[in-house]
Amino acid sequence: MLSKKDINHLTNLARIGMDDKNKESEEKTLGDLGRILEYFDELKEVDTESVRPMEGGTSLEDVYRNDEVEKKFNTEASVGQFPESESGFLKIPPVFSDE
Amino acid sequence: MKESSSIRSLNRQFIKKEVSVREATEGYYKKIKKEDEAIGAFLSLMEEQALLEADRVDKKIKDGENIPLLAGIPVALKDNILVKGFSATAASRSLERYVASYDATVVEKLKEQHVVLVGKTNLDEFAMGGSTENSGFHITKNPYDIERVPGGSSGGSAAAVASGFVQVALGSDTGGSIRQPAAFCGIVGLKPTYGSVSRFGLIAMASSLDQIGPLTQTVEDAAIVFDAIKGEDPMDSTSVSLGGINTVSTNVERVKKLRIGIPKEYFVDGMEKEVTDEITRTIEKFKKAGFSVREVSLPHTKYALSCYYIVMPAEVSANLARFDGIRYARLPAVSAEAEKAGHSALSEIYFRQRGGGFGSEVKRRVILGTFVLSSGYYDAYYAKAQKVRRLIADDFKKAFEEVDVLLAPTTPTRAFKIGEKTNDPISMYLSDIFTMSVNLAGIPALSLPVKKYPLDGGELPVGFQLIGKHFHESDVLGLGMWYEKN
Repeated sequence: MLSKKDINHLTNLARIGMDDKNKESEEKTLGDLGRILEYFDELKEVDTESVRPMEGGTSLEDVYRNDEVEKKFNTEASVGQFPESESGFLKIPPVFSDE
Repeated sequence: MKESSSIRSLNRQFIKKEVSVREATEGYYKKIKKEDEAIGAFLSLMEEQALLEADRVDKKIKDGENIPLLAGIPVALKDNILVKGFSATAASRSLERYVASYDATVVEKLKEQHVVLVGKTNLDEFAMGGSTENSGFHITKNPYDIERVPGGSSGGSAAAVASGFVQVALGSDTGGSIRQPAAFCGIVGLKPTYGSVSRFGLIAMASSLDQIGPLTQTVEDAAIVFDAIKGEDPMDSTSVSLGGINTVSTNVERVKKLRIGIPKEYFVDGMEKEVTDEITRTIEKFKKAGFSVREVSLPHTKYALSCYYIVMPAEVSANLARFDGIRYARLPAVSAEAEKAGHSALSEIYFRQRGGGFGSEVKRRVILGTFVLSSGYYDAYYAKAQKVRRLIADDFKKAFEEVDVLLAPTTPTRAFKIGEKTNDPISMYLSDIFTMSVNLAGIPALSLPVKKYPLDGGELPVGFQLIGKHFHESDVLGLGMWYEKN
């Protein structure tokens, strides 16, 4: 069963900040996830010994295309996907720190 | 505008100049502005652009040009589908300030037909939910009873069509999100085969399950819209070419030969009596008309919910990683807070954007998905679910050796009350119990009302679904059209 420590670890992995408001609902999250995982227990009774996993929604394999340059979007449209930019470049905070 | 219109009847009125596209468009906006405050179907309107397009179509008609069947038809889009230059929020506060910089392929195709794009409709945040109560902005109400939910996640699209705000809406269906709201709102909804319609420009939720499809007043309208949006797209490598299959011109002789199967697992305890009664009556109608109807079994149906709620959150946790505050949009408060944090600004942005911008259901699914994929639990949950998914898909394959189409209820109950299930995720998840297997198997399904329900008739709609073989949309649409006419 999940503990509060597990939830902290998972929210950390998923980069979800838990501020005080979120902390309040931590108990509920824990309870809800516990009940959901308990529900999943029913899968244990299914014999899947020799079953090939279904890894996606399609049976297509190795979809190829010709390696041709295609100008579908201009730079503007791509840069436009970012909240911050400067003269056609993306603006992001520093990735590496001095420490 | 007549209450029960169709694409063909609107098209005829335009061509005969009984009404101009501009007049019709203005009429729809007038209705929306008067009535949508009580329903809450829309998140944003595109009036200026819509009227420009209306004028363009009117000019074509005036010049004696032939116009496509869909030209001038008012269409709404679920707000997780991108239209260049317009916001696409997926009903998430985290994307409140995001403006799409390109068109989704389905939008490109509709624009080629000169439809009038009316606005963007409400949904459960990132399409996660079955009631549209999880929207980050407002709740949408069921036009048949405003104390009830319209279903979800395409609840805004369903409510808009049912209210007559638009003729057609597009939605997306990952576990029932087109069919369940269509059933709750007494309209038609088609979830196409996985690969039939390009998802390029759809904000992805669970990529092995997501499909875009139409919500409409009639089955024929659904077929017309499906024909317009289907087909291979180099921008979505899971899409396939359907050749020249025309789903609209369905041959009655061929339809009458379709063998119908009734999956016995879709009639369970706890179903609402009204639903069971109506579905039984519907089956009788098909029998009386001379269709071959027999019972079939899909033995792994009872495991679909567990399987779905492992596979889907796993994909959600990966797909939603892109909403990190660096790409797409950032909450206004986040930049200022991150500035203060100095050297660790980047990770501060991630945590604050996702912590502050995602609602509780979205967080729950991201956390659950991260868990089922994490080392030590992967085999017990994710790998196991993928195998069970195969068994569920094989059930359908086996049933389709005996029959051509399956008939089942779309939902176990009619539209439930607002607030009834918000505190209990499992009971909310169970409202999609009859729809999610179809997504796991990747096959097409059409939901349609068992009969016509007038908006002020005081009756809550019941819907049933016709489930077909891979890429046999023409079967379910053809059979649906037959039912509607008889």
